[in-house]
Parts: sequence; structure tokens; C-alpha cells
Amino acid sequence: MDEGRPALHAALPISRATAILRRFLYDARVRDWLAQLAVAGAIFLLLWFFVENASENMVKAGIASGFDFLWRTSGIDVPFRLFEYGPQDRNIDLLYVGIANTVLVSVLAMVFATVLGFAVGVARLSRNWLLSTFAGIYVEFVRNIPLLLFVFFWYFGVVRALPPPRASLDLGGIFFLNNRGLSIPTPEHAGPFGYVLAAFVLGFAAFLALRLWGAGRQAATGRPFPVVPAGLALVVALPGLAALAAGLSTPWNVPVLTGFNFRGGFALIPEFVALLFALVTYTAGFVAEIVRGGILAVSRGQTEAAASLGLRPGQILRLVVIPQAMRVMVPPMTSQYLNVLKNSSFGAAIAFPEIVSVFMGSALNNTGQAIEIIAIVLGIYLAVGLVVSAFMNWYNARIALVTR
Amino acid sequence: MKIRHFAAAVLAATVSFGAHAQQLVPSPTLDAIKARGHLECGVHLGLPGFSFANDKGEWAGIDVDYCRALAAAILGDSTKVKYTPTSVQQRWPILQSGQVDLLSRNTTITFSRNASLGVNFQGINFYEGQTFIVRKKAGITKPDQMDGATICVAAGSTEEKQATDWFAERKKKVTIVNFQKNDDAIAAYDAERCDAYTAGFGALAGQRIKLKSPDDNVILTELISNDPQGPTTRYGDERFQAVVRWVLNGLIAAENLGVTSKNVDEMKAKSTNAEIRRLLGVEGGFGKMLGLSDDWMYNAIKQVGNYGESYERTVGMSSSLKLPRGPNQLWTKGGLLFTPPFQ
Repeated sequence: MDEGRPALHAALPISRATAILRRFLYDARVRDWLAQLAVAGAIFLLLWFFVENASENMVKAGIASGFDFLWRTSGIDVPFRLFEYGPQDRNIDLLYVGIANTVLVSVLAMVFATVLGFAVGVARLSRNWLLSTFAGIYVEFVRNIPLLLFVFFWYFGVVRALPPPRASLDLGGIFFLNNRGLSIPTPEHAGPFGYVLAAFVLGFAAFLALRLWGAGRQAATGRPFPVVPAGLALVVALPGLAALAAGLSTPWNVPVLTGFNFRGGFALIPEFVALLFALVTYTAGFVAEIVRGGILAVSRGQTEAAASLGLRPGQILRLVVIPQAMRVMVPPMTSQYLNVLKNSSFGAAIAFPEIVSVFMGSALNNTGQAIEIIAIVLGIYLAVGLVVSAFMNWYNARIALVTR
Repeated sequence: MKIRHFAAAVLAATVSFGAHAQQLVPSPTLDAIKARGHLECGVHLGLPGFSFANDKGEWAGIDVDYCRALAAAILGDSTKVKYTPTSVQQRWPILQSGQVDLLSRNTTITFSRNASLGVNFQGINFYEGQTFIVRKKAGITKPDQMDGATICVAAGSTEEKQATDWFAERKKKVTIVNFQKNDDAIAAYDAERCDAYTAGFGALAGQRIKLKSPDDNVILTELISNDPQGPTTRYGDERFQAVVRWVLNGLIAAENLGVTSKNVDEMKAKSTNAEIRRLLGVEGGFGKMLGLSDDWMYNAIKQVGNYGESYERTVGMSSSLKLPRGPNQLWTKGGLLFTPPFQ
């Protein structure tokens, strides 16, 4: 027994160190950190393994890799673009065309789907039996059919229904509708149209000031000011007049039927219209349900209280119910907007030149660099999606119930 | 997987060394085909005359015939093929990743594909040339009358780029509408979305049959490019690549030598022509040199027929496409087909 004592004494400092280490390791915060570090490390190692493995195998299989192809000539023509682009441009320019088209169709679809969805959602709650039944049928119809069918339905519906170029529907001699699209005249000079934008900004600012003044007067005297018609006059009529003046001051490039098709002006292709219609009608069905759910989530007491204050049904909806319903609606709406963005890739099925079609279709086949191209496209969807989410989160925070 | 292949190859090599005192280069692809008992062949999604599944699910066509001949040469049975339909976009990853042993699907041989996709082209089984199909009522007879026209194509095909280049060079403005699948592009052409659809003349002959009223459409005779097509393999496994190449050569050589599916037994028994005897495995032991049985080409010709028989049956005069031999005729008869000798 005695022999063991010195050894125990000698061991004491070590056991103190172990004790510190043990306390450190048993600290919940430290443990959390270590666990997260381990998971992050494992994920990093896994990714590193995938990248390493892929590049090694690609070299072995003789497949080209790297991002040099972005600066090579694309050789691909695109029938619908928002800016100058031709087959002699680089693959990266083709990518920009694809991104612009994806964003354009997605943003327009988000806006129109919201408007249509709101209308259908409110209609479904209407006391008018016919209106609510029709809205209900629409929602059930739309939600239970795959989007691809919608896209094909609109595409072949739109294309088949329209006449060939020689038998175009002539709208006033300047607009022409045929199965190649809607040809619209474009101004030779864009300069004067800067004033239209200026007029719009001016009108909008005046409208905001008017609204503020109107609210102030109502608070002071109780007399409401007709803000909406006055605002419409400012926001619509003022830029409209400016547009008219600008339009008269510049020559127009009017589409003319030459040979096979119309030349000049701008052609809104049927693929774009079909994809937009498909996305809008499809997404509106889901938006309608979100709107209905949001409105139903507002307690009935709110409506009754507003009615007892003497508000009219329209005012109750606009001033009491919708603002409260918005809080419930915004998070699921974010999901729907993200779905619209992702669903725009269905354009590839009907030759709308969005990013999947031009980049993952044409460019991928010409270069064969599948991994790089798919990674780029994934990154772009992710980036655009995160921007949409960030905007919706900001909006959500803005309309959230202010708690004190 | 790799180790097993390697082990199998070593085993096979050792066995053949013992039997024939001839060591073969390992061929994991051939070993895998023999082990699984069937050939994995990547074909077109559906192109009459080339690769098309009928209502019973049986594949037919000149590209399919090549797969059958290859299966007969390797496994002795032309029915032991599993067909994987591939789209224009899917074909490369499916070949590169090893899901199929080879592609036999209207794929144009190009420099950049050979150099950057890790694929090798093993010969030409169809000299294709790009042209256009237009509606008769449009009154077009030559491609350069198509200034201002809208043209439907399959995205990522050689035709997409070729048509763009061809019209740009001639300062003609055309609108190219690119679809993900050939079938969608041809459907859009049929719906009059486009004035023309472009592809090879052979592919167009096959696709015209699928139109609402084939007789209202005409295929232009002037070609804007030449698009040779043939079986395609991935890099590596040279012995398998040699088998793919020489089965195609063998089918063409058989036509040149007058060996058909009908007279092949007689030829094998009686022919005194040394090249025929080597081709059919009577002498020379050519099959064994590639790790196959010596009656490899006998099986292929007996079960599938020579190149000419296959051509007539699938795209030629006895088919619904009615394509003349044109460039796909033996060089001795004014075409472009010839093979290196079986020596």
C-alpha cells in the first residue's frame, strides 16, 4: 500500500490536466462546436473526394474539362433575346441570353400569377355561388394536372390556333399575329422614351405625395380624398402622354411581310407566350389556395369589428382582412415564386431559349462539358432563387406584426 | 468492380494463353458482355429506318442491325441485345459512364467530339448529308431560297450549328428554333411553327413517315454538309474497339465478296476464295485473335445479313424509306464504302 502513494502523488498534476480537459469536453457549447466542426469537415472531405474523383476519371476517359469553353465561339443562334447576340458570340454571351430569358419569363409569370391567383382566391370565398364554384373547379383542375401537359397544351394550342404568316391577323397594319409570333413595331431611336420613364417616376412621386396629403386631410377633417383615380391619372396618363409624344417624334420600324415571314420590329415568339401562360395559369391555382387560406386565417371577429365601425365590405377586405392575411400568405408565396423560377425550365420542352435550353441543351452538346455546365446552371438557379428569397424575407419582415 | 474485371481479364488471358499460346490484351468490355450475356447498345429514341421500336417493342433499323451483328459476333446470338434509347443530349453521358457498350445511333463523326468527349468513331455505316424538309406549297427547291425562313432543329445536334454557319456564310437570315428532342422539333414543323426542319436526308426520310400527311412535304436534294455516321465507343479498351470496327468492316466486306445470309453456309463449306475463308473462320483463326470464336462473322452474316441486305431491308427499296444506295454503295459500284482487307 505504501509503495503506491508516491505514484499517486506523481500522477496528480496529470489528473488535474485531464480534469480540465474533461470539463472542457463536457462543456455543452464546446461539444456543439466540435460536432459542427466534425460535420463540416466530413462534408468538405466528401465534396473534395467527389471533385477529385470526377476530375481524375474525366482525364482517364479523355473528356475535356475546365472553363475555357466559355470564351469560345458558341455558333448557336437564339430566336428570342433581349440584347444583341449572334452565333459568332461566345458561350458566355449565350449564357447571359439564357439567364435574361429565364429571369424575364419568371418575373412576368410571378407578377401575373399573383394577380390571377388573388382574384381566384378571393372569388372562391365569394358568396356568389357561381363565382366560388368556378374558382373551385379552376383550382382543382389546375392543381391536379402536371405542368408539362400545361406547357404542351398552351404551346400546341397557341401555335395550332394561329394562322401562318401569309394569313396573319392584321391588327391596324402595324401589329401582326401569326404562328411565328406577334410582330410589333419598334422605334428607330430609344432616346425619347427616356422621358416616358422620367414621366412615370415623376407621376409616381406626385401620387405618393398626394396620398400623404389626402391621408392628412382625412385625419384632420374626416373628408376622404379620391386618391385612386387621381393616382391613376398621374401614374398612367402622364407617362402615356409622354409615350405618345416620343412615339410621334421618332420613325418606327414596322414589320413587313417579306418572303417567309415578317421582317423588322420585334417578334414575341409563341414559345414565350405559351410558357408564360402555362406558368401563370398553373401557379395561379396554388396562389389562389394560399390567398384563401390566408384570408380564412384572419379571425371572423376582425371582420365583425370592422363592420361595426361602419366600414363597407370592400374596405373591410382591403383595410382589415388583407393586411392581416398577408402575414400568413407571404412565406408560402415565397415557395411558389421559387417554384415559378424552377418551373421556367419547362421552356426547354417547347424550344423557349431559357437557360436550360440554350446552355444545358445546345452549349452542353457542342462542348460536351457536362459537369461544368450543369454546375454553372445550378449556381445560377441558386443565386436567382436566393435573391427572390431575400426580397420576400425583407417584405415579410416589413409587414410582420409590430410587437412592442 | 474494376478489380473483378481485372481478375476476370487475367483469368481469361491465362486460359487463352494455355489453350492457344497467344496472350490477349485484357478487354473489360468484352468480358463484361460475355459475363452478362447480352450487349448494351445505345440507339436513337425512334427514327424509322435507323432505330425504331415497332408496336411489339421489337427494334429494327440499320443502326439496330449493326448492334445485332455485333451481338452475333461476340455472343453468337443476334437477339442478345438490350437497346437503350438515347436523346441527342443523353447519348454522350450514357456512353461515357459505361451504361452502354457502344452507341449506334445516327451520330455524326466530328473532330471536336472525338477530341474532347472521350469517344472514338469506329467506321462509317451511313454516309448522311444534311438537308431540309419543306412543305410542297412553300415552293422551295433549293436551300438558298430559304432567306427569312424559320427552321426547327434538335438542340445540340451538328445540324443546328451547320445550318447556322451555312446561312450566315451566304448572308441569309434564318430563325433557328431549337428543341430538346427531334420528335418535338418535327412536331412543331408539322404544326407549321417552322417553314423547314433540318436533319440528314436519311433521317428526314425516316421522319417524313411520321408526319400528318407525308406526301405534302418534300425533302430537298441539295446537301449542305456531309455527316458520316457510325458506331461510337468510349476511349480505352482497344480490343473491344477493334471488334466493333472489324464487325462493321466484315459486314461491308461480305457484300463486296458476295457473301449473303442465304449463301453463307455454302460459301463456308465450298468457297476457295482465301479472303472469304478467313472472313468466315474456315482458316486464319481471325476470331480467336480478337478473343471471339472463329465463326464470329459467320454468325453475324447468317443472322443479320451483309451490309447491303441490311440496307435494303431497313432504309432501301424494300423499306418504307425507299432511299437509293447513293454514297452508301460499294466503291466498286460508284459509292464510298470500302474496307481494309481481311488479311
